[in-house]
Amino acid sequence: MTDEPAASSLASGLASPAWGGFDRRRARGRDLRDHWQAFRTSASLGWQMEANWTDPALFFIYSVAKPLSAALILVVMLDIIGGGAAPAYRAFVVIGTALWAIVLAGISGMAWTVLDDRERYRMLKYIYVSPSDFLVVLLGRGVARLGVGAMGGLITIAVGIVWLGVPFDPARIDWPLLALVSVIGLATIVAIGVLLAAICLQTRQESWSYPDAMAGALFLVSGVVFPLAVLPTPLQVFGMLTPLTWWIEGVRHAVFPTGPSSVGGPGSFWTTISGSAAPDSVTIIVALLGTGALVTLAATAVFRVSERRAKERGLLDRTTGS
Amino acid sequence: MSVYEYRHTASPQEAANWTPRQQLMTDLRAVGGRAYPRVTGLFREKSWIAFEILLPFLATSAFVFVYRALQAPPEYIGFVVLGGAMTAFWLNVIWMMASQLWWEKSQGNLELYFAAPMSIMSVLFGMAFGGMVMSSTRALVILVIATFVFGVQFAVEQWVLLFAVFVLTLAALYGLGMMLASLFLMWGREAFHLTQLFTEPVYFVSGLNFPVARLGLLGALALATIPLAVGLDAMRQLAFVDASFPIGTPPPAVEALILVAMTVVFLIAARWMLRTLERMARQEGRLSVRWQ
Repeated sequence: MTDEPAASSLASGLASPAWGGFDRRRARGRDLRDHWQAFRTSASLGWQMEANWTDPALFFIYSVAKPLSAALILVVMLDIIGGGAAPAYRAFVVIGTALWAIVLAGISGMAWTVLDDRERYRMLKYIYVSPSDFLVVLLGRGVARLGVGAMGGLITIAVGIVWLGVPFDPARIDWPLLALVSVIGLATIVAIGVLLAAICLQTRQESWSYPDAMAGALFLVSGVVFPLAVLPTPLQVFGMLTPLTWWIEGVRHAVFPTGPSSVGGPGSFWTTISGSAAPDSVTIIVALLGTGALVTLAATAVFRVSERRAKERGLLDRTTGS
Repeated sequence: MSVYEYRHTASPQEAANWTPRQQLMTDLRAVGGRAYPRVTGLFREKSWIAFEILLPFLATSAFVFVYRALQAPPEYIGFVVLGGAMTAFWLNVIWMMASQLWWEKSQGNLELYFAAPMSIMSVLFGMAFGGMVMSSTRALVILVIATFVFGVQFAVEQWVLLFAVFVLTLAALYGLGMMLASLFLMWGREAFHLTQLFTEPVYFVSGLNFPVARLGLLGALALATIPLAVGLDAMRQLAFVDASFPIGTPPPAVEALILVAMTVVFLIAARWMLRTLERMARQEGRLSVRWQ
């Protein structure tokens, strides 16, 4: 039948299956394909929201200014006290700060999505009742912000190499280790972002600063800008249970194999219990996988509990002010 | 007799013609009303204790440990603690003063503010007063805990000047916030990104964790424009009189005068900008257009 009207084919698409029953897949969606479409759309929307408010040059400046300034604060601190005497420690600080820009963007991405859509655009309730999985939508939006953070981090490293005297030799980089820890590390950052989004579902408008606060606290125990050895032992132990510590250690280990370790070193808890100066690549990967898996499971569980509580208490369409 | 009681008038025009006392009382009530949610909010939702005291304290601690790792002189740890406490005010000014009118617009409150029979400046003063109470609590807790935990030794000789500099710093900071509120409202969506731009970059040029004199010309520029930089430098000079750190900044008394000048300039600019903005908003009818 070549002359069959288009409306008919559309109607047949919505009609009951040929066998006459109810196709449950229509209510459930197409599983992974639907999730992928929701994720892609959400990530694209997130990128548009991040980037379409200005021209590329200004967007670039805004994206880079924060991580670069954070690195410069530490570089000046080093210069005041050490007089620039320790280039290895300068590289340690610049790499840590650049990676932390990615952490900050990843953690804040999903939390701010909740706050943006609930308090500003008041779309959260509509997104929630849409056929897409809410968590997948959040992940998409968070990934867009993570991308912006990664750009800022990479440029900070580039500035560090070009202007701040960070030694860099591509031939000495352990590329497989770098790729592996980067993938696991980014997944872990997203998991922490989900955890914070779950918290922001329960809290009020001023939660905008919560990602910064959470990141600031993790900054202390993750060996970002100083070795864990300077911390009291309980904090060192807590730091070693944090996947971000192992991610940053892994990246440093891959990029500067002979540089100082944030986990090991004289007086560190790691050296005391293991007898080695610093963890090797395998240990870093295993520790990152183990701690990352725990955080991911915890984040998923907390998110589901928070989601249920938000539905029960009508928090999804709440707006607050102060 | 209350200024709000009914009074018989011959015409609607006469009824609308308020006495100075009525205007003053209404504006004062607006200040109190706008400060109320910020002050009361301290006791309503306790999550701020964890997220705005405990966690920022940990962030401040991180910089203390950087100096410890570098075996810096003890007064530098005091610098970090003082800077950490002052960030509570800066973050409050940026997030809850500068961005606030834009927020109010997004929530649909701004048109109500302009329609209400009060000066919009009283709304800003209310936000500033409430914000100061909120942030003072947080800053004080961070300062006390960090001083105790890290054993910071203050050496103060001029308590009165130190207190005056602190008060002037707050006045200049919140004056800046009131001025930025209009600018952020005009810049629309860019405002949110500006809040990001006004954190770490401002911390850097203000010398949050190190003496600002170290930055040379950039530091001098910060001293001339950013109240956080001037206030912090003056307070460091007054709170650590024996400390040896890069000199080159003006003495505290001069920096106090800079803060006075900043306060006056920012408040006048805030009033002028608000009036300009109100006129533009009424002419262009954009007050109720959200999310721009």
